[in-house]
Amino acid sequence: MTNDRRPLILMSPALLWLFGLMVVPCLLILALAFFRRGLYGGIEYTWTLENIALVFDPLYFKIFMKSAGIAGLAAGIASVLGYAAAYAIASMPRRHQPMLLFFAVLPFWSNYLVRTYAWIVLLNREGLIVNLARWFGFEGEMPKLLYTESAVVIGLVYNYLPFVILSCYAPLSRLNPEIAEASRDLGASGWKTFRRITLPMTVPGIATGFVFVFVLSIGNFVTPALLGGGQFQMIGNLVYAQFLTANDWPFGAALSMVLILVMLGLLMLQAVVTERASGGKKQIDG
Amino acid sequence: MTRPLLSLQNVKKCFGTIAAVDGVTLDIHENEFFALLGASGSGKTTLLRMLAGFEDLTAGDILLEGTSIANIPPNRRPVNLMFQTYALFPHMTVAQNIAYGLEMDKLPKAQIKTHVDEILQVIQLAHLAKRKPDQLSGGQRQRVALARALVKRPKVLLLDEPLGALDKKLRGEMQLELKRLQHEFGITFIVVTHDQEEALVMADRVAIMQDGALLQVGTPHEIYEFPETRFAADFIGVMNFLPVKVSRGAAHTSNGTRIATDKPLDLPDGSAAVAAIRPERLHVGIQSDNMLTGEITAIAYHGLDLLLHIMTPLADTPIISRMTADVADHHNPAVGQQITVGWSARDTHIFPA
Repeated sequence: MTNDRRPLILMSPALLWLFGLMVVPCLLILALAFFRRGLYGGIEYTWTLENIALVFDPLYFKIFMKSAGIAGLAAGIASVLGYAAAYAIASMPRRHQPMLLFFAVLPFWSNYLVRTYAWIVLLNREGLIVNLARWFGFEGEMPKLLYTESAVVIGLVYNYLPFVILSCYAPLSRLNPEIAEASRDLGASGWKTFRRITLPMTVPGIATGFVFVFVLSIGNFVTPALLGGGQFQMIGNLVYAQFLTANDWPFGAALSMVLILVMLGLLMLQAVVTERASGGKKQIDG
Repeated sequence: MTRPLLSLQNVKKCFGTIAAVDGVTLDIHENEFFALLGASGSGKTTLLRMLAGFEDLTAGDILLEGTSIANIPPNRRPVNLMFQTYALFPHMTVAQNIAYGLEMDKLPKAQIKTHVDEILQVIQLAHLAKRKPDQLSGGQRQRVALARALVKRPKVLLLDEPLGALDKKLRGEMQLELKRLQHEFGITFIVVTHDQEEALVMADRVAIMQDGALLQVGTPHEIYEFPETRFAADFIGVMNFLPVKVSRGAAHTSNGTRIATDKPLDLPDGSAAVAAIRPERLHVGIQSDNMLTGEITAIAYHGLDLLLHIMTPLADTPIISRMTADVADHHNPAVGQQITVGWSARDTHIFPA
């Protein structure tokens, strides 16, 4: 066996797995989006662009934009909170950092559904937060917490925050502390140093975290279903409904396809941002 | 001399119970090229960081032109530091890196551009102004770091191992280049280095640091020719140490020969000491105050000169004698030969063992 074939052999099981369970289904979805819906829920194999056009119908496009808005808000909040947490962890003594990171990702080790249900308990009309507010002397009409857009955003931020912490921590911990010191030495205040040196150098981490949360949020259907209480739909719920209740697979496929394209576009944008920030890395030695 | 530019008064820095800088008192003058020389862990970098404002003082004070700067944060000190890692901003071009400090001073745009262009000419990197740091060679990065600190025209420029990352040939060139820039800009330079040759070549005055304290401060000539301690003698250059014993107010070798020295010998009779002589002060074939015979055990050829290793019964390690190329041509030393070298009383230092 030659050495150059070894990587291929080692990779092939994973590649086959991905191909069979990821690429093929995606292609099926892609194809499905261009077929007609059968009268009783089946698929009629004639080409059409109707499904695609329907995605951009104001009725559905509004849901699309709403989902993007919620995902964007969740990603934005998670980015700010996550960056701050990562910054704090990275500025702790080195030996404490692994422990703090471990605590940050600890919620991942418990079930997603359980954690989301926990928020129902917290946000409930007679839940912990309301009771706590009463206990602190808050009187009068309590704003509705559960089954609102805010509840969905809170749930999404909570669930995906660890991703942002990790993605921001990586570039922050790699920063040479002398670079920030050099900025101070050249006359910059602490805030100026952060804005002109630290932040631009760690933007790739924020971009990665933001896109990650956005992509996971826009397609999410569990959190809106549980914390949104069916009051409003996100695109994930719409796709779910097309496949499982409306039996309109081609339209579900068309929605999925557009969603996937949006996600791919964002991931590419994020790759470009990362590339920019690293300055193209053309090393010249000498 | 007038009031010193920079005055360190019993400066002390403790990390926990360890004193990294242990009571340093030192005056540095305007337009001086000063070198802090020491092994790693001697506290020289900590002292430099205290001058830059990155370490606070445990005790003592630092005065700049007579005013204390001990409590002034680094961004408001008229002092700049060139970092050992250069610490260039990777997301900015060469020109942006250099302009950064001037922007912080809120200089008008046009003036910043003039200053940046000027200094790019001085460091001969005008053609690379738009490059990012990782597209530069090590030597080019070093010059950008220097320009970035120098363009602010600080009262004092601090340089942490400025030539440490360069290869040997470039280092030699840059030693003279730094000296030239220091002269041209008329700024006080304080260089931290572990490289004694670098310190001797560049500096007007050198301070040897050991365990957080200054061991000796002086011109390169004073430091090299008149070391005050055995450590200083050993640390700078090559030094031969001959074990001796003090009796009747003079140093004697193990075979009883009296070692002549013109320096006062204030060690009690019976105490053990060492006689220290530089290799280049040992001469062959000349009648001198002190003479010594031994066998050549090795010859190290350096082109300009030879280093002879001479084994004598007086010491456990060979005595090293430097012989210039033309003397060597005349004497033709060879391994196994017996050789007699002599040196004058003036070149003999005696230290307690």
